[in-house]
Amino acid sequence: MPDVNLTIDGVQVTVPAGTTVLEAARTAGIFIPTLCHDPELSSPGACRLCIVEIPGMRNLPASCVTTVSEGMEVKTASDAVTEARQTILELLLANHPVDCLTCQKNGDCRLQDYAYLYSVRTNRFGGEKHAYSVEEDNPFIVRDMNKCILCGKCVRMCAEIQGNNVVDFAFRGFDTKVAPALNTGLGGPDSNCVFCGNCVSVCPVGALAERDMLGQGRYWEIDRVRTTCPYCGTGCTLGLNVKDGRVIGVTSVPDGDVNGRALCVKGRFGYGFIHHADRLKTPLIKRDGRFEEATWPEALALIADKMGTVKQEYGADAIGVFSSARCTNEENYLMMKLARAVFGTNNIDHCARL
Amino acid sequence: MASVQLTINGRPVAVPAGTSVLDAARRKGFFIPTLCHDPQEPGFGACRLCIVEIKGMRNLPASCVTTVSPGMEVETESPAVVEARQTILELLLANHPLDCLTCEKNGDCRLQDYAYRYGVKGERFTGEKHHYPVDLSNPYIARDLNKCVLCGLCVRTCDRVADRRVLDFAYRGFDTRVATAMDQPLGESACVSCGRCVAVCPVGALTFRSLAGQGRTWQIKKEPVTCTFCEAGCTFDLNRKNGRVVAVTPREAGPGRPLCLKGRLGMELRFIKDAQAPLLKKDGQFEKSSWAEALGLTEIIDRMRERGEI
Repeated sequence: MPDVNLTIDGVQVTVPAGTTVLEAARTAGIFIPTLCHDPELSSPGACRLCIVEIPGMRNLPASCVTTVSEGMEVKTASDAVTEARQTILELLLANHPVDCLTCQKNGDCRLQDYAYLYSVRTNRFGGEKHAYSVEEDNPFIVRDMNKCILCGKCVRMCAEIQGNNVVDFAFRGFDTKVAPALNTGLGGPDSNCVFCGNCVSVCPVGALAERDMLGQGRYWEIDRVRTTCPYCGTGCTLGLNVKDGRVIGVTSVPDGDVNGRALCVKGRFGYGFIHHADRLKTPLIKRDGRFEEATWPEALALIADKMGTVKQEYGADAIGVFSSARCTNEENYLMMKLARAVFGTNNIDHCARL
Repeated sequence: MASVQLTINGRPVAVPAGTSVLDAARRKGFFIPTLCHDPQEPGFGACRLCIVEIKGMRNLPASCVTTVSPGMEVETESPAVVEARQTILELLLANHPLDCLTCEKNGDCRLQDYAYRYGVKGERFTGEKHHYPVDLSNPYIARDLNKCVLCGLCVRTCDRVADRRVLDFAYRGFDTRVATAMDQPLGESACVSCGRCVAVCPVGALTFRSLAGQGRTWQIKKEPVTCTFCEAGCTFDLNRKNGRVVAVTPREAGPGRPLCLKGRLGMELRFIKDAQAPLLKKDGQFEKSSWAEALGLTEIIDRMRERGEI
């Protein structure tokens, strides 16, 4: 594709034709705030925070939906741009709860970041405010539509990446709200939500939150440990949220190797086993009809002994091996080796042989 | 000293006689919130957040001013204690700006920590609120008394510097506020801007102006350095954001340590790499200018820029 030359804040930038001004600026390391933009999703140009000044253009165009052209001169932080951004933020905050004190998103909230950056207080506009009740109709996701800024990222995430189309914009004007079919709530009878939580991972504010993480710790107290989901062979990358040595939740990492930010309900919300009181931490051996705690050498010796007896008495094909989707490829390969080379049987299968 | 046996939350604890219940509990790893407690000068007992339940005692005593006694049974987080703490926090928040959105203390604020821990949103009581103007008369310290919780930590830390004692409580009741002599602005008082009051403020009432707008508390990494101006060995924090030092702030003063403005400004000169913008006198007024202009190199630098050399 041919290259286009333009200047952004006085810096010469060369990008392929068709690039948006926003992408060009970010490539050059120039900051532009966005709420509704996401590189992995389509651009609706809704939030208008990414406006820039381009001489010769009428008004301040939204840089996420303006493509570069030869010789363009872009100003990303002119007085007009800053003033417009401040007004946009003030209008957003005019109908946003002033709840940072206890909001779970405090510290990781784009609206807060930009309000701080542009010194926007909340008290310029007074007006009607939403008073929706917080939706807690399911065990996984809490929706506080009072905090929603209608960026629509959750709608696009659900439609374009998850492919479930569970939520969309409903109603008009001030009453516009993101809702599942028939506005029944994510846990409602007409909702097709699978609770993957991918909407939560893109929400820039505190409108969507992981239910079990509420009250468990503030953003700045939590360490995010990048790891691989153990549930299946896909190997999604996820972030364990650790506070004081305990896992309090799972969140997406922005650049998961195979999954991006997408996770499934098990990976995102199925971490309860980690600190569960009933979790088995040692092998158990049944003696006199009762399970008793044993050591690994004891248990493995017992298994080897019993396997040997079965093989001697009934032949190797009396043994079957069933491996697990929770194992890695390498572990499954080793299991196959164990079955064929050690036990001497071809009876090997796998629970995820879909 | 004789040892005293007591139980805290059902666990037997032995501490030297004369220890406060607060110290005994904290030493054993139990959490008790405090706003006014100063380990160097304990026993103020003002904020009441450290209340605990002690079997046989009337009411809920403040653990910072209650000494341990043999056989005492202390509960630090019983339903009665939690409810009382919630009410105390609600009352504090009833006259506190809900300004975390842009407050410089957001993320490092005890009032916020406790509100989050006890699920208090500050919506329960409505009443009169203070509307003090923010005191920016001091070039280093911003004072927003609307956010003050009257814990008195600043008063006491200032009081420990014999020739200062700049701050004290003034007025009565709802009008009580921390003030300088004759209630002058801080910049006109005897304050020498050592900043020890800011270092101990648990909320956003006292903040360093050098940090205003520089970044949120969770983006800033603090790294202690020792000042070498004199033999007192005061420690300061280098405040780094994205690896760059954006400000130097004093740490809490140790016993017998002064902390002075000279030390802090010296540390800033030493550690902040960005040269400050030069001031050029134009029409009798100092105005911020670029180094290129101050050094008379504007033309040369422009030409180098045109040729892509810089």
